[in-house]
Amino acid sequence: MSEESGAKHKFAFYLGCIAPNRYPGCEAASIKAMKKLGVELVPLKGASCCPAPGAFGSIDLNVWYAMAARNLVLAEQMKMDIALLCNGCYKSIWEVNHKLKHNKDLRDGVNEVLKEIDMEFKGTINVYHTAELLYNERFVGVDKVRDSVTNPLTGARIAVHYGCHIVKPHKDREFEKEAMLNTEHPTWMEELVAALGATPVEYRNKMQCCGAGGGVRGYDLVHSLDITNEKLINLKEVKADALTDICPFCQLQFDRGQIEIQEKFGVTYNLPVLHYAELLGLAQGMSPQELGLDLHGISCEPFLQKVL
Amino acid sequence: MARVKGYPEALEKKLRDQRYVREDSNPEFTKNVKSISRTIAHMCYQCGTCTGSCPSAPRSTYRIRKFMRRAVLGLENEALTDPDLWLCTTCYSCADRCPRDIIPTDVIMSMRNLAFKRDIVPVNFLKTVQAIYSSGHGVPNNDVNRAAREKLGLTRDPPTTHMYPEYIKGIQTILNHYKLKANADRIVKEREG
Repeated sequence: MSEESGAKHKFAFYLGCIAPNRYPGCEAASIKAMKKLGVELVPLKGASCCPAPGAFGSIDLNVWYAMAARNLVLAEQMKMDIALLCNGCYKSIWEVNHKLKHNKDLRDGVNEVLKEIDMEFKGTINVYHTAELLYNERFVGVDKVRDSVTNPLTGARIAVHYGCHIVKPHKDREFEKEAMLNTEHPTWMEELVAALGATPVEYRNKMQCCGAGGGVRGYDLVHSLDITNEKLINLKEVKADALTDICPFCQLQFDRGQIEIQEKFGVTYNLPVLHYAELLGLAQGMSPQELGLDLHGISCEPFLQKVL
Repeated sequence: MARVKGYPEALEKKLRDQRYVREDSNPEFTKNVKSISRTIAHMCYQCGTCTGSCPSAPRSTYRIRKFMRRAVLGLENEALTDPDLWLCTTCYSCADRCPRDIIPTDVIMSMRNLAFKRDIVPVNFLKTVQAIYSSGHGVPNNDVNRAAREKLGLTRDPPTTHMYPEYIKGIQTILNHYKLKANADRIVKEREG
C-alpha cells in the first residue's frame, strides 16, 4: 500500500439530522480530521433522515426499510461506500443495507416501492461508522490517530459513552475488528481516547443506554432523563472532565439533557460532552471556534482550560 | 417466508400444542409478531434476563419479559393496549444477553407496528413523520444553526434534502405509498384537533 499524500480512502459522507442541524462542529471536525488521516468524506447529495430507527421502525418497519434504502441507493449511484458519524444512523443505514442484501423478500418489497421513484437497491456498497474507520488499521488505525495529534489532551480524564446502535445487537453486527463485538465491556473507544493523549476513565455501567432512543425522549421525557441521570451520577463518581460519544443523538441527550435535568430534577453536573470527532479535531489543533463548541448546551470551558 | 435463525421446523409442530393457548389468545398474533420481528419470540422460556438488562425496567412498570410472554400466548389486546409498550429505548441490551438467541427489542418493535395498525401510537412518533415529509429531516435546520454552520466554513444548509429540496418528492412518494403521511395527519388531528 502506498503512503503518498492525498486521500487513500473516499466515502460518501452520510450526515443524518442532529449532527448537521444541531452540532455542526461534529460534521466540520469529521471532514477536516479524517482528511488528515487519509480519508476523504464527500457529500451525499440529497440524503434525508436515516430515518430515525425508533420513530419510523416503531410505526412501520417496511417504511423504515424503504426510506433507508433510498439513502443507500444515492451512494450506490455514486459507487461509493458510506461513512457516517451517528449510532442511530448506523442502525438504519448499516442494518437496512445488511438486511436487504441478505433477505430477498425484503429487497423485493423495497424495490417495488423504489421503482416508483426510478430507483433500485442493488446491494453494491458497504456502510461504516467513522469511529470504526478510525479504529480499523485497514483505513486509519489507532497508531495513525496518535501520530496525527499535535495538541495532546494531556491531563484530561475522559469517559466514553459508546451508545447502543453501533454495537448492539452484536449477533447481527459484522465488524472486522473483533474488539468491537464485545458489548459487555469494550475498550476500543478508550484506546482511541488514549491515542489523543487523554486519560480514559472507566465508570459504573458504562454500556447503559443514554435514554433517548426508541422514541422515549419524545414519549416520556422525564423517564428518558432519569436514565441519563443515572449515567451522570456514575460519571460524577469518577470525576470525569468530559464525556465523549460517537452519536450526536446521545450527545444531545447528555448535553441538552443536563439542562433539562437541572430544570426537572434540580441537579447540576456541568459535564462537557463532546463527540469523538470534536476531541480528535482539538487534538489535531483545531480551535474550539472551528469546532463550534460554543453551540453546546453545557460549556466546554473547564475542559478546554485543562487541555489547551 | 425467509427462514428465521435458530428455527427448526420440527419445533413449529410441537408448538401447536394447545397447552400454549388461553381463551383470550390469538394465535395469529404470535405469528404476526414472528413475521414482522423476524426473530424467534416463541422460543422464550421466561428467564427474565431481558428485564434484568433493561434500563427502563427500574424506573417504570415496563417489563419486557411480560411482553415476551404475551407474544408466546398470543395476548394481543393486553400487549398492544399497554402504554408501557412505548417505554423501550431500543438499546438491545436484552438482545445481547438473551440465552435463547431471541431479539426481544424487535418483538417490541413488531408489537408497535401492530399497534399502529389500530391507531395506537403516541403522537411524537407521528410528528417525526410529518417533519420528514416536509423537509426530509426529522430534526430540521434553523437560522441559528445556519449562521453557526457558516462560521465553521460549512454551507448554510447541509448537502442533504435541505440544500437539494428536489429530492423531497421521492421521500413523499415513498411515504404516500404506505399512506403514512395521511394516517399520521388523521391521527394527529383526531388527538389534537
